[in-house]
Amino acid sequence: MTPDLTTTVGKIQLKNPILTASGTFGYGEEYAEFYDLSALGGIILKGTTLEPREGNPPTRIAETPAGMLNAIGLQNPGIDAVITDKLPSLSRFDTAVIVNISGRTVDEYAELARRLDPVPSIAAIEVNISCPNVQHGGMQFGVDPVLIRDLVQAVRGQTTHPLVVKLSPNVTDILVMGEAAVEAGADALSAINTLLGMAIDVERRRPVLANVTGGLSGPAIRPVAVRMVWQLARELDVPIIGSGGIMTARDAVEFILAGASAVAVGTANFVDPRAALKVVHGLRDFCGTHGVSRIAELVGAVQTG
Amino acid sequence: MESLAARITRREEVAPHHITLELDCPAIAHAATPGQFVHVRVSGTDDPLLRRPISIMLRDNYRGRIEILVRAVGRGTAILSNLAPGSALDIIGPLGHGFPVPEEDSRVLLVAGGVGVAPLIFLADTLQLAEQQHYVRGLLGAATEDMLVCWQDFAGRCEAFQAATEDGTAGARGLVTELVSEQLQRGVDIVYTCGPRPMMARVAELCAEQSVPCWASLEQFMGCGVGACLGCVIPTRLQPKHRRVCKDGPVFSASEVAWEELSE
Ligand SMILES: Cc1cc2nc3c(=O)[nH]c(=O)nc-3n(C[C@H](O)[C@H](O)[C@H](O)COP(=O)(O)OP(=O)(O)OC[C@H]3O[C@@H](n4cnc5c(N)ncnc54)[C@H](O)[C@@H]3O)c2cc1C
Ligand SMILES: Cc1cc2nc3c(=O)[nH]c(=O)nc-3n(C[C@H](O)[C@H](O)[C@H](O)COP(=O)(O)O)c2cc1C
Ligand code: FES
Repeated sequence: MTPDLTTTVGKIQLKNPILTASGTFGYGEEYAEFYDLSALGGIILKGTTLEPREGNPPTRIAETPAGMLNAIGLQNPGIDAVITDKLPSLSRFDTAVIVNISGRTVDEYAELARRLDPVPSIAAIEVNISCPNVQHGGMQFGVDPVLIRDLVQAVRGQTTHPLVVKLSPNVTDILVMGEAAVEAGADALSAINTLLGMAIDVERRRPVLANVTGGLSGPAIRPVAVRMVWQLARELDVPIIGSGGIMTARDAVEFILAGASAVAVGTANFVDPRAALKVVHGLRDFCGTHGVSRIAELVGAVQTG
Repeated sequence: MESLAARITRREEVAPHHITLELDCPAIAHAATPGQFVHVRVSGTDDPLLRRPISIMLRDNYRGRIEILVRAVGRGTAILSNLAPGSALDIIGPLGHGFPVPEEDSRVLLVAGGVGVAPLIFLADTLQLAEQQHYVRGLLGAATEDMLVCWQDFAGRCEAFQAATEDGTAGARGLVTELVSEQLQRGVDIVYTCGPRPMMARVAELCAEQSVPCWASLEQFMGCGVGACLGCVIPTRLQPKHRRVCKDGPVFSASEVAWEELSE
């Protein structure tokens, strides 16, 4: 018997719970050279802004214990180019495409949503209020529940696409932020984005990254991410996309048990270009060997009592 | 482009902290062109996490093998250089855009520094086997005689060869760039260079003065190696300015690189 891997994230239907995390999979094309992307539940595209952006100067990447720091700074060709040049070629894959958006102001976020509203080929918009790497990359919104409410309401007013709000872990209480997003109309939450970090080159006595600080991702952040997904899922009645250091199917199951309806594979794609595909296959095997007929049975099934 | 387990068929120490590895990987060997690289996973664990980019130094099309030259500088390359023959190595390749082919019967100058010699050995090998009669001159620079790694492999594939060491223990004393002007004076149609950034920047400058086209192979820290993360960019004079070393490079036209903005 093949297990049923289909899942829903609010109004978003997925053939399986495995997505690729924003910024770690480009626009899919580089990885399409390694496998058929139709095997994935969905692809979350690189963070997109209203105007094209050059991003931060190099050095943009540093390796840390079981993780990496990045300060890409949202380099992207802008929303119009994404709609005309990137989205059409993705429609050849039978997979959900989610566009991740970032702005400097509430108006920019609203305008991004307005331009995406008539695009039928996308499954949802992921609102990034958590990029730690640019002055106005969203994190200033993501750490303040009042701003989150205003922002999500404004975006909500511009589109009928499902809205996923991507939360920042760089807060004292992620629950307060999640609640604000849900009250303002988010259909789902994404947790988590990268943790603010820093690495210093001791020979040169200089930060490794030109931006000085960067976002920490990879296996090193997984326990923090699992904890935050669990905190959100326990208190809020909203579907969650979990991410943070997922390398294998077992890691994905950990997030699902904590309460995630779907998960996003990020940094693992860099380590193994077929990582997300392997997680899909591994999840199927896991269900087989553990007598799980529907993956949905596992969502939030961790026993803490 | 392939992602596969390549078996190490040979390991050789060529200088202090420098080794060469021969890898059995027919698909990569057949597809590779000079200037391309492989992205190597040095360990099966999550630490160190990221792959390491290493140039392809030679390929044996018939036996389906490639050779790489590794300089142990940090944790990843130290692990890599201690692997024994027989072990399997997880590699992706061939990656990136290599050196463009010179026009017919060109006078070619190759300027290498340190391990930068690796992709230029592959280029010299390809030019030697090409149908066109190129005239290839090679220059190699290093700090000391010890560090003129693989110079025989390089020299043997060039019509003329000259080395420079900073301490004068072999070849001319001084920087290899001092030999470049002299070579340019003798007439050169195209220059290819790989080595430390200050060296390549100087070569680029000398070529610009003489209006000789120059192609340089650049390095940058990498995340994915396949063009998806935008982690490996360098500043260029193009629009958009930031270009990916792994996908748009590693070989760039020297006149397009914003050398003054590159650190080190
Ligand atoms: C296209 C290309 C071709 C290369 N070819 C060769 C070669 O043929 N032989 C050789 O010995 N070296 C080559 N290098 C450099 C080699 O990749 C680095 O020396 C190596 O990554 C350092 O890793 P480490 O773990 O030993 O050092 P660490 O400093 O411990 O590395 C930590 C992190 O920095 C990255 N990193 C550090 N230095 C570099 C660098 N110079 N370039 C890219 N990433 C770096 C690593 O990937 C890792 O993420 C090449 C680099 C590039 C970009
Ligand atoms: C290189 C890189 C670029 C990223 N870019 C974005 C982005 O543009 N928008 C966004 O919402 N998240 C971005 N992220 C965060 C990831 O989507 C993901 O949430 C995070 O890396 C944690 O997952 P991981 O540990 O599996 O990578 C980026 C992460 C990395 C490593
Ligand atoms: S290393 Fe990811 S884009 Fe070059």
